[in-house]
Amino acid sequence: MNERPKNELEYEMRREFLRKLGAATVATLGFGAPRLFAAADGQTISHPQATADSCVVLWMGGGMAAPDTFDPKRYVPFKVGVPVGEIESTFPSIDSVVDTIKLTEGLEHIAQVMDRATLIRSHVLPDLGSILHSRHQYHWHTGYVPPQTVACPHIGSWMAKVLGPLNPVMPAFINIGQRLEGVGEQEELKAFTTAGFFDSEFGPLNLPFPEEAAQSVRPPAGMDAGRFANRQKLFRRLVDQSPQRDYLSDFQYESQLRSIENAYRLLSSKEREAFDISLEPAESFAKYDTGRFGRGCLLARRLVESGARFVEVTTEYVPFLNWDTHADGHTTLQRMKKEIDQPIAQLILDLESRGLLNRTLVILASEFSRDMIMEGKPGSNANDQTTEPVEALKTMKHYGQHRHFTGASCVVMWGGGVRGGQLYGASAQERPFVAVEKPLSVTDLHATIFNAMGISPQTAYDVEQRPFYATEDGKGKPAIEIFGRT
Amino acid sequence: MYCRPIQARIAGVELLFPKNESQGVRTTGENHRSFWWVLFVVGLGIAPIVEADDVDFAHDMVPILKTHCAKCHSGMQQEGDFSINTREQMLAGGSSGPGLVTGDSANSELFRRIVSTDEGYRMPPEGQGLSAEQATVIRKWIDQGANWEPGFTFAPSSYEPPLRPRRPDLPPAMAGRDHPLDRILDAELVARSQTPLKPVSDEVFLRRVFLDLVGLLPTPEQRHAFLSDPNPDKRTLLIDHLLQDEIAYADHWLTFWNDLLRNDYTGTGFITGGRTQITTWLYDALLRNKPYDQMTRELIAPPTPDSAGFIDGIRWRGEVSAGQTVEIQFAQSVGQSFLGINLKCASCHDSFVDRWTLNEAFGLAAIYSDRPLELHRCDKPLGTMAEPKWLFPELGQIDSTADKNTRLEQLARLLTHPENGRFTRTIVNRLWHRLMGRGIVHPTDAMQTEPWNADLLDYLAIHLADHQYDLKQTLRLIVTSAAYQSAVERVDESSVAAPYVYAGPRAKRLTAEQFLDAVWQLTGTAPVNMDAQVQRVRPGDSAAAPSQLRAQWIWNRGDATQSQGGETLAFRKVWSMQEAPKSAYAVVSCDNEFRCYLNGRLVGAGAEWDNPTLVPLQDIVIGDNELLIVGRNGGNGANPAGLWCEVRYRTSEASEQGFGTDGSWQWTARLPRESGGYDVAPQDWQNASILSHSNIWAPRVTPLAQNLMTQASNGEVAMIRASLVKSDFLMRSLGRPNRDQIVSVRPSEMTTLEAIDLSIGETLDKYLQGGAERLAKEPWENPGELVRWVYHHALSREPNAEELQLLTSDLSLPLQPTAVADVLWAVIMLPEFQINR
Repeated sequence: MNERPKNELEYEMRREFLRKLGAATVATLGFGAPRLFAAADGQTISHPQATADSCVVLWMGGGMAAPDTFDPKRYVPFKVGVPVGEIESTFPSIDSVVDTIKLTEGLEHIAQVMDRATLIRSHVLPDLGSILHSRHQYHWHTGYVPPQTVACPHIGSWMAKVLGPLNPVMPAFINIGQRLEGVGEQEELKAFTTAGFFDSEFGPLNLPFPEEAAQSVRPPAGMDAGRFANRQKLFRRLVDQSPQRDYLSDFQYESQLRSIENAYRLLSSKEREAFDISLEPAESFAKYDTGRFGRGCLLARRLVESGARFVEVTTEYVPFLNWDTHADGHTTLQRMKKEIDQPIAQLILDLESRGLLNRTLVILASEFSRDMIMEGKPGSNANDQTTEPVEALKTMKHYGQHRHFTGASCVVMWGGGVRGGQLYGASAQERPFVAVEKPLSVTDLHATIFNAMGISPQTAYDVEQRPFYATEDGKGKPAIEIFGRT
Repeated sequence: MYCRPIQARIAGVELLFPKNESQGVRTTGENHRSFWWVLFVVGLGIAPIVEADDVDFAHDMVPILKTHCAKCHSGMQQEGDFSINTREQMLAGGSSGPGLVTGDSANSELFRRIVSTDEGYRMPPEGQGLSAEQATVIRKWIDQGANWEPGFTFAPSSYEPPLRPRRPDLPPAMAGRDHPLDRILDAELVARSQTPLKPVSDEVFLRRVFLDLVGLLPTPEQRHAFLSDPNPDKRTLLIDHLLQDEIAYADHWLTFWNDLLRNDYTGTGFITGGRTQITTWLYDALLRNKPYDQMTRELIAPPTPDSAGFIDGIRWRGEVSAGQTVEIQFAQSVGQSFLGINLKCASCHDSFVDRWTLNEAFGLAAIYSDRPLELHRCDKPLGTMAEPKWLFPELGQIDSTADKNTRLEQLARLLTHPENGRFTRTIVNRLWHRLMGRGIVHPTDAMQTEPWNADLLDYLAIHLADHQYDLKQTLRLIVTSAAYQSAVERVDESSVAAPYVYAGPRAKRLTAEQFLDAVWQLTGTAPVNMDAQVQRVRPGDSAAAPSQLRAQWIWNRGDATQSQGGETLAFRKVWSMQEAPKSAYAVVSCDNEFRCYLNGRLVGAGAEWDNPTLVPLQDIVIGDNELLIVGRNGGNGANPAGLWCEVRYRTSEASEQGFGTDGSWQWTARLPRESGGYDVAPQDWQNASILSHSNIWAPRVTPLAQNLMTQASNGEVAMIRASLVKSDFLMRSLGRPNRDQIVSVRPSEMTTLEAIDLSIGETLDKYLQGGAERLAKEPWENPGELVRWVYHHALSREPNAEELQLLTSDLSLPLQPTAVADVLWAVIMLPEFQINR
């Protein structure tokens, strides 16, 4: 459920706008834009009934260690001389509001909202040999392991393309918290933070710093609202005076003018305020103010309230920072948990209190898990990536999950029709902590997410005369038991 | 609530049609007509579930026809002489008479048969027949006039493009239009009784041809000179002039080739050393107009590592699927770039959409492979090894026992074989598309498709071969035609959906690079440095007599071989001028990077010592001037550092004057602000030292610097172009692809996110502000003069009275930069500016 625009007239104008947008989309298709692909039996795809209208991905960039977060194993406190191989978790487990679900110390707020969540402990990722975070992130965000012969769309772009915007003035796909310049692997990050072969209309609006998001929908510095409006007026009148008026029926002319009007509509709309987190009441702001990620959660909530379709909030991925712990993992995770714990819980509670949680799917995920001693997965030939290889603990620096582990990782899903208080799948009790129950691949996880959003995993577009599917080769099967009443 | 965008629903139908499936023969039953029975069924038996809506042919009808009728009545199958391939065929019907009567389902054989309960008469004869809902759809479709998607057919394409070149006979010239392309196209128009196309005015032609050939707007001066030139051949003269502007041509076409050969200055793969650039080689090839067959041979069988990046592709760290190994990338890239053949399907399995097979894709890949290449189907090994071979054995074959280099050379020769008409057709079609807005075969990467005019395509192809594969000759041929110099076709929704009928050129949206170059031209805000490692020197100029160089390599001490990594120093020279120079520039090289300031203003920067930078020096004043260069040594450990700078200026005196870095320069470790200028002037300037180890750099830098100086002294300091710098947010937003894959065609429409960027984005705003400040200072006699200048430059035309009045209404002398910036914004946001028509 999204807030309806107050002004009905304006709302009607938007509907009219969308209608035109639809018409133009058809025009575009004649020019080689990807076309919806018919199903093999000649029937068009039938989409499942949506249980959510909006989707929020909380991305733990860098590889969140399951044993130190959502899948506690045997806790061994730090002590000089302890063999590293004996340690499974570096945090003790804690209770949650659900008897059967234990988390680890530092996630006390999230523990209080697990009754609204399904916790997946059997998410399995492929071992891509040499581990490059951004490559796994590409896979998780597009459903396809790079490289591919075509540029794959981000799942947010799939939602933007198939579902369109929820509120017509709001960009359908908003990406918060990740810089794409000035950080390591930036080119690789850019490669999946994109609409891929879909038109860039379906690409992300990138807001790397939540505090600065308001500027992304505000006239440039030094231009007040009056001048901004006048400039637009000047432009419109100039179009009206143009001796090229005759060409306005040309689809390129028309679509350009329409896009400019669409942009102006957002930039002069009330929804624009959603981007300005400084407008949040101080008491509420404080609950999110743990850092960039926490404030990103606040921004996400405000955007969802205003009818955003897909929002991603990332604990920024920078090689060797944040979740990417190659040394000193325990200490780093203390900080990371502090940063995510309260804002995530507050996001869930706020969405609930606004009546939005039941139609908003919130997903917490990461490109893989981590382990104290195992790199990749059993049998992997990936290089050991810890920067502090020791047999036994000497200093605090050695205490933490310093190897990438792909055998099982955790995903948490809240709201949007998800059954609350549920555990899905399990990892082994003994090392290696691979998924031993209901292993869930990226393909099937995506099918599950798409299912909730009312998109068939078999949805395909015709790209270079080939079908390209929302889930790899259209094979994704949703894990239906994740949904349903508690 | 949400609104699902309307989608086209016919796509993939042709593709999914089981074209090679063996199909059973069935006899149709005799006609059993029973009108009243049908009417009864319609009246009682079928719920009117879709009464309220129009039937959508693609969405509602195609799936039914495909599922229930296509097997026996489409493609080559015409049971009972009845085919549903096209609307016409459906109406015509078969042995039972007309297939349907539009607007009258009750009297339509098709409908009567599908609702019949007579087993021998009903269609389809097998199974349960159509559901009541499906029958209703068909009834309504017929009653609503049996609308058909223009151009749609159930017939699979059986077209196989010819391999060999063909020299078409030219039709006779009409009305004196004897240009070979016009002879072909006029005949096409006449055959369709279409009126001849309307020629464009000189000013429309001027802007179009500038943007198409060199990617720039004509300046107001160039516009004036062209419009006032009485020479009747001036269009052709202008075309030749533009094609001879080697640097502008190379700058512009670099974008096209970077896209086609997926070359870039940054991107995935570079991080792990799994990818190399071909930039230097490519730019040089364009500058020298290297024949296309030779270019291709050098890309396929690289004589030096400079052109090896194309075939080497992107080597990913870790495991990749069998369909994306570098060998398979090679096959896909060669197929797509040079032949417009899509081997991406066939890299995984025999293609469903065209004739290419897994064997052929792997055969091509094996030519490149260093190792025995095992065939994989959908990532599963098949146990057989691929034999190196290429796609058209009619022209010769690869010696599979030869070594890799020999195999690549053989492939290069076969690909560019004079009898390989597909090679030439593919490239001329791409060029036609760039200039005329739509391919003769379209899309341009699907050369397996039938051209809309084979004579036109074949003529262009053979013309290229006749002219020693000189691509400029193809461009010249096209732009000298009356066809190119005609008004653009107005393309609306209906003409997009309809089958293509030639009606003149189509308008082209500016590429990201063209757009930015145009903005930079208008505002004078082009970047001061480029990322592309290219030598922007006219081929003729490099042979010119080198100027005597004065500069020496300096640093803060004589032996700077062990300078600290990251060491950053400021060097300066203060000199006095008696008069303001007419022109001035510096050429700078620094190991490893520098920023250059003239009188406290940033004027240039560079980050590659082996690619010296030409820095224009405007705003030299009478009296004392200060040139300050901040040099930074790179690396982590100790390594050599050095700075080299040659300054030249021309005054009223006959010869060029100047100076260079030497012992009279001074240095300090105190650095100015990044934007230029000190908060507190340093007091510790010391004399710089001349380095004894200049031979580290000099052999490489000196000749390059001399080339740059020759060029600059000829008064040609070409603007840095968008094609020469790394992609940024704005360019990405405007459709510059990330070149992980080959993306040979740019998006044709502006999106909302782009419009947001253009409305409020910092980047464009910065350019417009900079330009506005510059323009506001110019001595305009009145605001209208500025507006006219903007229109002349941006749109290559006079503003009309209304436009002039509108734009000058907020302007008064002295001009306010903000008001000028708003005028600039309003003009560059016009479709007229962003679309080349």
